[in-house]
Amino acid sequence: MSNKRRVVITGMGALSALGATRHELWNGLLANRSGVRRVPRLVNSGITVTTGGEVEAVSAENVDRDREIANRTIEDALAESNRDAAECGFIWSTGLDTFQLGPNGFVHRSAGQCFSNLSSRFTGPRRMIAAACASGTQAVGEAFRLIQNGHADACVAGGSSVMLTPFYLIGFAGLQAVAVDNGDDPAMACRPFDKRRKGFALADGAGAMVLETLDGARKRGAKVFAEVIGFGMSQDAFDLNRPCDDGAGAELCMRRAFLDADLASEQIDAVNAHATATYSGDLAEAIALRKVFVERWHTVPVSGAKGAIGHAMAAAGVLEAIVAAQTCATGIVPPTVNLNQVGEGCELDHVIGEPRDVNAATVLSVSFGMGGQNAAIILKRVSHKEAQEAQMQR
Amino acid sequence: MVYLVASATRNDLQSVRESSPEIWRQVRRYNLPVQLALAAADEAIRASHDPSSVALISLAPCQPGSADLYRWGNVVTAGMSTGTLGNLRMNPTQTLHAVDNLALSAFAISHGNRSYCLGLGGAAGQAWSGLEAVQERLDSGLEEEALLMAGDQDAAEEGAPGLGVALLFSIRAKPYSPSGRMVRLISIKRTRERASDVVPHAANGLAGLLSAIVEHRGGEMSYVVPPQHTDGLSGVTVSLEVL
Repeated sequence: MSNKRRVVITGMGALSALGATRHELWNGLLANRSGVRRVPRLVNSGITVTTGGEVEAVSAENVDRDREIANRTIEDALAESNRDAAECGFIWSTGLDTFQLGPNGFVHRSAGQCFSNLSSRFTGPRRMIAAACASGTQAVGEAFRLIQNGHADACVAGGSSVMLTPFYLIGFAGLQAVAVDNGDDPAMACRPFDKRRKGFALADGAGAMVLETLDGARKRGAKVFAEVIGFGMSQDAFDLNRPCDDGAGAELCMRRAFLDADLASEQIDAVNAHATATYSGDLAEAIALRKVFVERWHTVPVSGAKGAIGHAMAAAGVLEAIVAAQTCATGIVPPTVNLNQVGEGCELDHVIGEPRDVNAATVLSVSFGMGGQNAAIILKRVSHKEAQEAQMQR
Repeated sequence: MVYLVASATRNDLQSVRESSPEIWRQVRRYNLPVQLALAAADEAIRASHDPSSVALISLAPCQPGSADLYRWGNVVTAGMSTGTLGNLRMNPTQTLHAVDNLALSAFAISHGNRSYCLGLGGAAGQAWSGLEAVQERLDSGLEEEALLMAGDQDAAEEGAPGLGVALLFSIRAKPYSPSGRMVRLISIKRTRERASDVVPHAANGLAGLLSAIVEHRGGEMSYVVPPQHTDGLSGVTVSLEVL
């Protein structure tokens, strides 16, 4: 018999272009609404990319924005879980360095400094994840593994990114990854899997989850949102800026997650896709998903959140894991916002236009990082009986 | 059981250029921390059974990128206030540097490695989290070998000294190449000791550990990590056995 401990999610916090709470994120997605918009301060700078997923809850002029947006979601997740930071590990990605103009001149602060500040009230383990766009998913996966193997009893996992600065907009435009302005409706800048996709919209954001043992959650009478049952990592080993054409790296991390969960792909009810809306990224992802699901590929609902909230880099994976956990809890798969006409080669069972209630209980959530790091986690609904047991012990 | 089987440190790119032109061709477009980390990793991985299946754990630099990146940050931020950003084109490599996983990605590509990977960010003391991750992966039987690599500079300034370090671990007992003796990693223990004199640097702490191992006469050894190499929030003691 396995001595691995079961790991559940008992608190979540989300800050995104759709709002300052996880409820606003979920409701916005269900309403098929995009939070991506024109950002006035970018228009004034003369830059060629002026749309993004801006978090309005924290002022863009606040030079401590990276720390501020992270802390808000951490506080929300801890409060929902009724946990104290001092009893948790901290597995977090603070995304990228800050290059910003502040009231007293240039602010150039490393992401590491932000992490050190955020981590100071946690007891450990304290790990700063740097796997580009796969960071948030890997943070959740690593926290899962630490708890599962007894290296921690509870962790806050997630990530935060401040991306809507000229440095990153110009940089990612140079990599031909972001959707440059072309007169379109800004809300439609990011169109995952769509025929007219042209890249992602960069976004600010943060997401946090509290993970702990199922036994611990039961003892505390905590509300359980979902169980984490599998985690897989892989590398493309292919190119610094482009995924493998055949989706091999992406496929590998999914298969490793299935193996870890002791699950066959037939047992997956829905997929929360990376869905960046880049031409090659979406194509490789669709190929990988078709390979993984074999003949079931046209019956497994696939949904991606970046059309609605943009790409929040280090936070993207955890924001999407939060959506996946909501899907586990409700059975509902939200639509991929801005997907209207599926692009050639991107054929999957896309959820388009409106949410689909398929009673999805087991959800695969994937992220693929620039540079080739790939992460997959599998979340599963905790049965009513198990959830009630936890609540009754309160 | 987890054994340290090989390591390498690099602080001089000139020697890489002269003695390993192939490695130099691979790394020349990167910044100093990435170049030094890759040069060290390429040396240490030679002792590997199968470089394509080694678990890769890579530490990003604590110094924010490089002098080049810093300059770019200033140029872009200045352009913001003058409305001239439309004309700027950034070298894509700068963005890749800023993403902080460049050494990991470049190493995986050059060695065809699709195995488990963990990129740890440039916060103080993450080296010991990396070492813990090595032990967790190998102890759990998920991989047979793990490479821990790091590169950093003393400051993000042109000409600031840098250091790259790489350590190869294996579940197979074999002599650690610099000393010819077996080095077994026993544990990494944390204590609640705060330190105020932390000097964030991804590679210096690991280099200090390697020096202590080479100097050790034999038997069990407890390496108390100097406070400046910790995260400032906990003390770290690495227990090893040199056989």
